[in-house]
Amino acid sequence: MPNDPGDIIGEEHWAKRGDIDLFLFRRYSPIARAENPEKPVLFLVHGSSFSARTAYDLEIPEQGDYSLMRTFAGLGYDVWTMDHEGYGRSTHTNGFSYIADGVEDIKAAAPIVETVTGKHAFSFFGSSSGALRAGGFANACPERVNKLVLAALVWTGEGSPTLAKRAEKIDEWRESNRRTVDEAAYLNIFNRDIQGLTIPELPAAAAAAEMSNGGGSVPNGTYIDMCVNLPVVDPTKVDCPVMIFRGDHDGIATDEDVLGFFNALPNKDKQLVMVSGQAHNTTIGINRARFWHSLNGFLCMPGRVDQ
Amino acid sequence: MASNIWSQEYWALKGDVKLYMWRKRVGDPTRDTTPKPILFLVHGSSFSGPTGFDLQVPGRPDYSLMDKFASYGFDVWTLDHEGYGRSDSTEGNSPISEGVHDLKAGMEVIIEETRQTEVAFYGSSSGALRAAAFAEAYPNHTKKLILDAFVWTGDGAPTLVERTKKLAQWTSSNLRPVDRDFFLSIFTRDKPGTSEDSVARALADTELKLCNSVPTGTYVDMCSILPVCDPTKTTCPVLIIRGEHDGIATEEDLLNYFKLLPTRDKQFVIIPGLAHVTFLGLNRARFWHVMKTFLFSPERVDIQ
Repeated sequence: MPNDPGDIIGEEHWAKRGDIDLFLFRRYSPIARAENPEKPVLFLVHGSSFSARTAYDLEIPEQGDYSLMRTFAGLGYDVWTMDHEGYGRSTHTNGFSYIADGVEDIKAAAPIVETVTGKHAFSFFGSSSGALRAGGFANACPERVNKLVLAALVWTGEGSPTLAKRAEKIDEWRESNRRTVDEAAYLNIFNRDIQGLTIPELPAAAAAAEMSNGGGSVPNGTYIDMCVNLPVVDPTKVDCPVMIFRGDHDGIATDEDVLGFFNALPNKDKQLVMVSGQAHNTTIGINRARFWHSLNGFLCMPGRVDQ
Repeated sequence: MASNIWSQEYWALKGDVKLYMWRKRVGDPTRDTTPKPILFLVHGSSFSGPTGFDLQVPGRPDYSLMDKFASYGFDVWTLDHEGYGRSDSTEGNSPISEGVHDLKAGMEVIIEETRQTEVAFYGSSSGALRAAAFAEAYPNHTKKLILDAFVWTGDGAPTLVERTKKLAQWTSSNLRPVDRDFFLSIFTRDKPGTSEDSVARALADTELKLCNSVPTGTYVDMCSILPVCDPTKTTCPVLIIRGEHDGIATEEDLLNYFKLLPTRDKQFVIIPGLAHVTFLGLNRARFWHVMKTFLFSPERVDIQ
């Protein structure tokens, strides 16, 4: 699927939420955009433990295509992402950067994206707590969301193996607003569900990128939310077409929890895609091409016609 | 029909019963020997394979599912089940279990002609039940399975509630009459406006040239012996497609089936603007897209 027209641009932009500076990053290919003018603005929302470009624009020498942004820019999408409060190059505050704060971050980013692209509504993709931020944004600002793709989603958290484990450290998450993310932390994230679905080089590459992007630490708010405040997204208030993408080994939620969310979505334009060979981090696993394929398929779905 | 699409008739044998098969692909397979992925389309209760899947609607393009998927690179086959279309009619009523035997006979022809033993199956309505039951019985022949307009237990299905009122009629004969009004009703019973009127007329014109009755077996099965499929015995990747307005099943029924599928490569897709006969609906391009995306999904890789 990767298609590099040779002219993919990376642009930095900035949004402001109160005193907080929020870093936005855009990738697009003028050639691919001209060839695919129908392709939407695709806004990628990161999760708890990676800043935006570590998650979605990762480069690993000699290991093929790891940048979701480059892949989709090559397909003609206008791809955006942002570092949430306390992540990456956005202002590191004393706050915890909860999911509700993440929704406010996206609200602050949307007018910047609109000014640059001329589009008022975008397609959103979020992974893990990024799916919760994106879902929360779709609840709050439905007029801004054309389509919503939720990967590594958890709704109520009931029965979730990962969250049961995470909740054992709830006091630790509350004690400080930040935690360290280094190679050992990433090794744990990539191997906690199952080993062998990411390449061995990935933890070091992610740690190096995160150190470069954000100094090697991230806020604790989304961890706290996912341990004690779920559900934070109301499926009955998501109006747009939705695709839920779930890796077969993802421990962040049970199938039942995800199916319950899917079933409650009122829009009948909805897809639930379960894919084998994937764990929690679908975007950077060895079977990421299967994820790209599904994501592109959903976003390229022909429009509905009526008599 | 696209000019580069090649087609041919075949006959499968199930005991003494001759079963008609119809095949379409780009290029003559005797000249182009590069294997193409095979897609086997399984028809439902009320019209035969080529009528439904290769329908030509005067003045309206793109109604042939066979042409469309041939143009995508597939070697597309369909079959008239016992008692349907050009296949032999017998004293039987062609229930779903017989349909599985029909597909096995058809599979033998495909293997003989293509040397491929694994194919992707698509079934609509009771065709989905036949295809799913075939996948359970012959997992070695089923690479992927697409179930459209599917029903599992039938609990709460509006269409089956209505159909069951005539169960005595269905069980009293092995055949039921079909006429123009009946074919038109298939396209309007769930939600008028989800298909073009000319499609129902073309389908009626085409099928009524072949027959004025069809077997009752699948109707009897769907009204009285569901479930006929066991999701726990289907091992291949599965896509379930549901037209938003389809009354043949409730969403709950389909989600319960979906949950029990042991494969972790499975998709559940609801498409608005479509009713029971998705592949002949106004929004059939959305249906093609979903089906194509599933069929072209990259193969899983594993670290050696």
